[in-house]
Amino acid sequence: MIELMWAAIGAFNYVVLAYFVLLNSVYLGTSLFAFRALRKYAMRLKSLDLSDLVTSGGAPPITLIAPAYNEALTCVESVRSLLTIEYPDYEVIVVNDGSSDETLVRLTEAFELEPASRVPTAKLPTKPVRGVYRSRLHPSLWVIDKVNGGKADALNVGINHCYTPIFSAMDADSLLEPQALMRIVRPFLEDATTVAAGGILRIANGCVVSRGRVVEVRLPQSLLARFQVLEYLRVFLSGRMGWAALDATLIISGAFGIFRRATVVDAGGYATDTVGEDMELIVRLHRHCSEAGIPYRIQFVPDPVAWTECPESLAVLGRQRDRWQRGLFQTLTRHSRMLFRPTYGAAGMLAFPYFFFLEMLGPVIEFLGYLSFSITILAGRVDWLLVIAFLAVAVVLGGVLSLSAVALEELSFRRYPRLRDLFKLFGLAALENLGYRQLNTWWRVKGTYSALRRVEGWGKMTRVGFAVREGS
Amino acid sequence: MEDLARGIAEAGFRNSVIYVLLAVIAALFLGTVFFSVYAVLLRARHAIRDRRRAGLAAKWEVPLMLALADPERSEAVHALVEEKHRLRFVGFVLEYARRVRGEERAVLAALARPYLGLVAARADSRREEVRARAIQTLGTLGLPAHAARVIAGLDDPSPLVAMVAARALARRETPEYAGEVLRRLERFKGWDRRFLASMLAAMGPEVAGTLRLGLGDRRVEPWTRALLAEACAIQGDFLSADVAERVLRESEERELRLSALRLLVGVGRPDHAETVKALCRADDEVVRAQALHALGTVGGRDDVPFLLEAMYDPYPWAALHAARGALAAGGVESLRRLADSDDPRASLARHALGEADAA
Repeated sequence: MIELMWAAIGAFNYVVLAYFVLLNSVYLGTSLFAFRALRKYAMRLKSLDLSDLVTSGGAPPITLIAPAYNEALTCVESVRSLLTIEYPDYEVIVVNDGSSDETLVRLTEAFELEPASRVPTAKLPTKPVRGVYRSRLHPSLWVIDKVNGGKADALNVGINHCYTPIFSAMDADSLLEPQALMRIVRPFLEDATTVAAGGILRIANGCVVSRGRVVEVRLPQSLLARFQVLEYLRVFLSGRMGWAALDATLIISGAFGIFRRATVVDAGGYATDTVGEDMELIVRLHRHCSEAGIPYRIQFVPDPVAWTECPESLAVLGRQRDRWQRGLFQTLTRHSRMLFRPTYGAAGMLAFPYFFFLEMLGPVIEFLGYLSFSITILAGRVDWLLVIAFLAVAVVLGGVLSLSAVALEELSFRRYPRLRDLFKLFGLAALENLGYRQLNTWWRVKGTYSALRRVEGWGKMTRVGFAVREGS
Repeated sequence: MEDLARGIAEAGFRNSVIYVLLAVIAALFLGTVFFSVYAVLLRARHAIRDRRRAGLAAKWEVPLMLALADPERSEAVHALVEEKHRLRFVGFVLEYARRVRGEERAVLAALARPYLGLVAARADSRREEVRARAIQTLGTLGLPAHAARVIAGLDDPSPLVAMVAARALARRETPEYAGEVLRRLERFKGWDRRFLASMLAAMGPEVAGTLRLGLGDRRVEPWTRALLAEACAIQGDFLSADVAERVLRESEERELRLSALRLLVGVGRPDHAETVKALCRADDEVVRAQALHALGTVGGRDDVPFLLEAMYDPYPWAALHAARGALAAGGVESLRRLADSDDPRASLARHALGEADAA
């Protein structure tokens, strides 16, 4: 019986190894696709002048929808930054999602809001709207005050009150670069079947912010935030760029993406019963368009940047990762019929299986792998040399993947101008696999467990605020 | 003996696994070294390139400005351009040329002219981005001398190159090329229609007649006619109003109808109201909404009761356009009364009045 158990553990160890090989092969594959796609994109940028393209009168009007919940400390600065974006025709709708602090008061004072009328043009079900306000100083700024219903509900209110063919969903506390809209709208001009496009998210911790803009890019001070810088580079430049090259984008970050309004309304808007409403919407758009036979594209653009503040404490980061994993789990189980269905193209045949087996179930396999490896080692039933060799492969492979993301950054956008920051990123690539990766696995296992227990809610997220340059 | 053989076999397997793993570690380690060195080299290369470009820009900038002020001084600029920097110089001039027009652009084009042969050679590159860049440069700085090469770009297999060529040719300053672009509109079917319409409208009033003719021509594909209607709308071409009205009477094509209605919003007349009004009862809610929008501008006071009634339309856009239309048709007082009442249309009325106040 005991021998049978050891045989099972031994077999499971091979399953873990197979998972490890498969996962990293996919990472390497997407990185290679990303290299090719980024080179091409950089050259394409040179051949079609962006400002000429957008300011020539053909730019579609856009509505920025920024849900705000208890953002009294940062909302005025954030909205100011939204009002200075370089784009010929856009409106801003801030949706105050029943904040219990002074968010609405601060906005009213800063922008001289007055009651106004704005009828909805869609009927997505939402919590009741308490009032609509328009700025006397900036006629393109609207604030909608509503009963608390969560981010997805607030976005749906914004969509209901959106009058433009395209809207951008974003976090009220993210900072968009001035040219972000000009850059992200490009896929909509080049391909009329585009229904959604995502931009890149970068970590603002450590950067200097002035008048709502990042004016100096630096690595954060804390090691935890630095790991996240590297992680975001890998996720966006290697991962999302690679999947986009395969036409299989399954996630657009909730912090910054733009959408064709009519398609989103037809698909039913944001789901309010998931904590991963951003991914859920993209997966649902795939389903909606594929099943209805609507030609469509969902794209990723690597240079429109939204700067965001990342957690700097283990507790908050853990809650964030728990929530992300729950959102992933809820989305993938809800739309599991997409798995290996050719109807859904590359999204169903490649991206969905990858997220399902490697991102959703992967952390559990990895965690159990750590356990079974530990048991095997403790029982002395393992060849130490083999264990050390496997661990070395894991660490060095993780390093290769992270370094390839750093190389992609150097190849394309070079946002970290200081040479010492580049070398710090190299160091982080080596360190990341010794603790940070395992912590992440643990949080994601917890997230999977929470999802199985149907835990709801976002968990408390505390923010430190941006490093604002004096006089700004 | 068997045990010994098994032991040797197992040891052999173990050693093989270890050798494979060591080989993998070595390869991966080389990978880390490769990516690290690659990143550092990229950083160094970009730094050197940026420094070199800044140096060249500093060398050329003042003489270029002087040449812009006094074209006689162009020779002084050419004297500063070394053979190996000729393409870079054209790129430098192109950056300025994109921002100016008329006389100044002509001076810049003259400065770049001696080197455009190098650029023309790149228009045959195998890489579409290189071809696109070359066509863009020739289109901005090389017309009319390199017109044939830019026009050929319209038929390039790459949609990107074709669009770059179209944008280079579709300019108010060069109406002689408009026909080449208009003949190939089908090539750009995948692009956003509003964007294309604005490109066509940018060709100026000289092409208005051609746009109008195409819009009224039943042999032309509906997609193209809809695009031409949008371009006429941007140009505010009043003479196309009758054509648009005829299109509404004759065509059942949805997108074409919508574009014709959008055109009438800007240029329609009261005698078009009857045709538009018929579409205000269309089953297609989007057509209905657009027709109500148009009726607001082509209709008159007589149409206000109809528009007020249409504010009950279950399709939100139709109701909103009806409210806006009622206001545009002169129904301010009726809307005010509605806004002050507890009629279900009160919020729509308030909205329309609020929009008018803000405007």
